Amino acid sequence: MRLSPRTSDRITRIAGFVTVTLAAAFLLAPVLLTAVLSFSNDPYFGVPPDTWGFRQYETLFTDQTWRGALMLSLKIALPVGLLSAVIAVPAVFAIHRSRLPGRNVLHVGGLAGIIIPISAFAVAMYGVLADFGLLGTYAGLVLANTVLALPLMLVVTSAALSRIPVELELAAMVTGASRARAWFGITLRLLAPAMIGGFVLAVVTSFDEAVFINFIGGPGLTTLPKAILDSARLGVDPVIMAVATLLMVATSILMILALKFARSTDE
Amino acid sequence: MTVSDEQIPAASVPTGEGRAGTNGRGAALELRDVSKHFGSTVALAEANLSVRPGEFLTLLGPSGSGKTTMLRLIVGFEAPTSGQILLRGSDISHMSPAERDIGMVFQQYALFPHMTVADNIAYGLKIRRWPAAERKHKVEEMLELIRLPGFGDRYPRQLSGGQQQRVALARALAYDPALILMDEPLGALDRTLRLQMEEEIRRLHRKLNATVIYVTHDQQEALALSDRIAIMRDGRIVALGTPEELYYRPGNSFVASFFANANLLPVDGHERRAADTAWVHCAGQELEVPAVGGGGEPAVLSVRRRSLRLGPADGLRLDGTVEETLLFGDEREVVMDVEGIGRVVAVLDARDSGEVRVGEPITLYAPAADTLLVPEI
Repeated sequence: MRLSPRTSDRITRIAGFVTVTLAAAFLLAPVLLTAVLSFSNDPYFGVPPDTWGFRQYETLFTDQTWRGALMLSLKIALPVGLLSAVIAVPAVFAIHRSRLPGRNVLHVGGLAGIIIPISAFAVAMYGVLADFGLLGTYAGLVLANTVLALPLMLVVTSAALSRIPVELELAAMVTGASRARAWFGITLRLLAPAMIGGFVLAVVTSFDEAVFINFIGGPGLTTLPKAILDSARLGVDPVIMAVATLLMVATSILMILALKFARSTDE
Repeated sequence: MTVSDEQIPAASVPTGEGRAGTNGRGAALELRDVSKHFGSTVALAEANLSVRPGEFLTLLGPSGSGKTTMLRLIVGFEAPTSGQILLRGSDISHMSPAERDIGMVFQQYALFPHMTVADNIAYGLKIRRWPAAERKHKVEEMLELIRLPGFGDRYPRQLSGGQQQRVALARALAYDPALILMDEPLGALDRTLRLQMEEEIRRLHRKLNATVIYVTHDQQEALALSDRIAIMRDGRIVALGTPEELYYRPGNSFVASFFANANLLPVDGHERRAADTAWVHCAGQELEVPAVGGGGEPAVLSVRRRSLRLGPADGLRLDGTVEETLLFGDEREVVMDVEGIGRVVAVLDARDSGEVRVGEPITLYAPAADTLLVPEI
């Protein structure tokens, strides 16, 4: 039987609708389920929960282990964001605006952190930090996470800088601006949204980091992802649902902000 | 910029010699033996140039001819290897761009995307610490001048290419610099817009009496805008003069072909008769033609496309075969192959040239007075 074009079009449309719905459900269902389960009031894990309430969130913010882990993660993530910016921004200027020999090598090398498998990276990092006596230290964690977050900052700021014409800085200088004023007021100002976007990405990357910490963390250095792993080892603690929900909300907000900032550079 | 009566009248009628400026009221800009080397490459070789106040001077040349290098030296993006650049009499060769009191318009507009049109125009004024009220007033005045009143609050991305370039002009003009540089400012615009902007630039130049150095590779633009044109090749100025001089009496073969699109016909021999005429042997004929140059060097006969015609004339006669014809409305371009000479291009009146057909023989004439013997370079 041959279908008329109209019927065939309708089938295609319905198939498309079903596919999109399934894809959306696949993406969103775990998120929604986690969020819903985080409002369970049971001291154990069960689906569906027997009672509802804010018990998990209370535990998260009052229990010393969880609070300490949250604070440590923040204390690592923020310096990581700053350090990545401090290293990446001069680097992208060297890559795009200088006649430095080997600047392309610098560019590709800077992205190595993304390409190398993270467990291999972690093993190597273990060796390096051990040599410098930084194993199991706060400084060591900040450094390791910076190495991981730096490529993201590099990618974002490098793409943004390549879209800022050199002529803008030159135009500012002819018009009377000193080199410094032209650089800060025009080029760096136009790069700022990308820097903020890169900062957020770096912070999120560091905050979510759950592989390195197992190699180079140590006693008294329990980040939030580490605390989740530890608690899962002893059985499923429903607090994880609250942690995960908060992480998702915070990450989403930051990512949306980052995208918004990064996009505003395009204009 | 207020056009006051005290300002020096525009030097819209350049002297026939086309190299004044050092006499009388002095040059706005002067280049003395300015060279720029990049490693072993000579980008600009001992350039000498004097631009009069209020003059519109164009640097014209193919890419790589050194015109952009010269512009970058004048504005201060590069330092000269040797020589001096003087602006209103003071040596600016090694000053930073900010100190030079120059305004510049770039090919890609280079407007600051994060600032409004008004803030872009006011940028130079803010750096010069104009009070806010005066800045605002000046911006309004400039917006009127570039015919974009009420556009102050918009962002550059909300404007068309032509409008953006007008804002860039206003930004460069607002602080009344001693010199305006324009680096192929119409290069990014389409043809119709280009013609409108040429008009606009001419109008602004007339009105403000600004000294302008304009860089382009488009000889039509140079013809339409310039008081004088410096034609450049391989890092050297090979000709300097008014559009009329360069078009009708080019000083050498490069200017004749590049600027006037003239045909360059080989001559079998030439001999000077007077200071500005010569006997030449060309295409099997003996002719007395106007001549430029010293007379001793190798020379070619320059014949402009429009000098050739179908009707017999007292002068050069060319017999050949039509290779191609192209109709441009009122005119018809005819490409012919002449034995012993090669390709010759003529532009004929379209109404008279209806019988011209590809592959058929054709005879064209050029009055001797309409040809010119030029030194070959």
